[in-house]
Amino acid sequence: MKPLWDIFCSVVDNYGDIGVTWRLARQLVAEHGQAVRLWVDDLHSLARLCPEVDPDVAQQVQRGVEVRRWALPWQPVEPGDVVIEAFACHLPGEFAAAMTAKSRPPLWLNLEYLSAEDWVGGCHGLPSFQSNGLQKFFFFPGFTSETGGLLREQGLIERRRAFQADPAAQAAFLQSIGVQRRPGARLISLFAYENAALGSWLEALAAGTQPTQLLVPEGRVLRDLERWLSTCGLAAHDQYKRGALHVQVIPFVEQDAYDRLLWCCDFNAVRGEDSFVRAQWAGRPMLWHIYRQEENAHWLKLDAFLALYRKALPPAAGEALGALWHAWNAEEDMGPAWQGLQREWQVLAEHAEHWCREQAAQTDIAARLVLFYTNWL
Amino acid sequence: MKTAQEFRAGQVAIINGAPWVIQKAEFNKSGRNAAVVKMKLKNLLNGSATETVFKADDKLEPVILERKEVTYSYFADPLYVFMDADFNQYEIEKDDLEGVLTFIEDGMTDVCEAVFYNDKVISVELPTTIVREIVYTEPSVRGDTSGKVMKTARLKNGAELQVSAFCEIGDSIEIDTRTGEYKSRVKA
Repeated sequence: MKPLWDIFCSVVDNYGDIGVTWRLARQLVAEHGQAVRLWVDDLHSLARLCPEVDPDVAQQVQRGVEVRRWALPWQPVEPGDVVIEAFACHLPGEFAAAMTAKSRPPLWLNLEYLSAEDWVGGCHGLPSFQSNGLQKFFFFPGFTSETGGLLREQGLIERRRAFQADPAAQAAFLQSIGVQRRPGARLISLFAYENAALGSWLEALAAGTQPTQLLVPEGRVLRDLERWLSTCGLAAHDQYKRGALHVQVIPFVEQDAYDRLLWCCDFNAVRGEDSFVRAQWAGRPMLWHIYRQEENAHWLKLDAFLALYRKALPPAAGEALGALWHAWNAEEDMGPAWQGLQREWQVLAEHAEHWCREQAAQTDIAARLVLFYTNWL
Repeated sequence: MKTAQEFRAGQVAIINGAPWVIQKAEFNKSGRNAAVVKMKLKNLLNGSATETVFKADDKLEPVILERKEVTYSYFADPLYVFMDADFNQYEIEKDDLEGVLTFIEDGMTDVCEAVFYNDKVISVELPTTIVREIVYTEPSVRGDTSGKVMKTARLKNGAELQVSAFCEIGDSIEIDTRTGEYKSRVKA
């Protein structure tokens, strides 16, 4: 019998929660032969990432994963062998009670948020005593061997490199989303939350000496783009030219297509957690729009990652990258920081590949979870 | 019931029916406004120790403990000895002082609170604010009086912490014992 994993995902906002859990569920099935039930309280969000999902069907199998609507009132179900509550969501009370009633209760894991902060390594894998008598274990993704690692499918880096070495494959992919690469132009993808700094970045790109082709998937940042373009109602396939900048809105694409988009681009602006990690696997320079938190806790996380990422960078390149990321997240003038980055472009491009190689040498989350379960048994 | 983030070192919670003293509690924001508390715990029934982590809003049952005012007296390896107003002495092990050990030093006059469980001292709590003298730090940075630029300073017992750049050797500083952080320089 395959071990059965129950993964619970409560979609709070955006696509980070569902993006991570959907990836993990698929990987556990495809690479580790596990059976997975993915409980999602908003199937519409999942349908954006996996168009085959029918949001009106409460139980369906997609890519080997049993997708279940997490609906209330909760209908009794026998818990599996491993239960994951993703991103500190709360399990249904009845389900938690059913866990304690099993003759052998399941392994209970809380899959936490990704952070590069030092304390994460000290908390990863620790038990948590619960009032129902069970132990829950905290599983922290991260960038060091003391953490749970990052989501990365087998062969991902090899597939990416082959794709990046194949201009025809790139052109075919871009064409499939309505994009024709403009000769001589630098290709940039932009996936971000609302950001008042966007206008200043676009100004810098438009005034630049090098042509830029900017691809913007449909999403929250379009309102800022509309403001800068003095237009409204932007939709997929709309295109505008301002100076050296050619902007094109592209459709919101599912996960595998988004990977290929990142692989095609020379520079990727990403946000949150899932796209942030995927941009690292793309091996290209990037700009991270971090999820804003109360009491500015996100700055500690941003700087913790920068500290790790810049460790092997020459100071000038590290400072240029830090200045850009800080300007973007503080929503300040991006012009000077973008200019500064141009001088370090080559170094940053090489470093992105180096960082990817370094991170890919570590065991990925899914493999570590399976190992954690095996050891727990 | 109290949330995990409300517990401090030295306090006791009932977990799975057993009393555990919290020797150390570290609060960290994990993501999207969620937080976790890592705790070092000691079982008061069998002395076993463990590390654990809770969501900051997990509920735990607190134990109301007897407390008594004491002052630090001396260190008799491996025990720290405190004394109450009636000159009764109370010995406590280093591990049970982990949360405050950084600020224990000879000659300190702070009025502390010894915490008892079944007539045995299980921890000692310092006042929220204490004053300590800097015995070494790099020279002051001229011109900076904002207090935002920080540097490392060493206290009498060898503990180090970050202080404002304008602090000097011999200065007395206020420290928040809940966070272990420098609060301000004490004006002479």
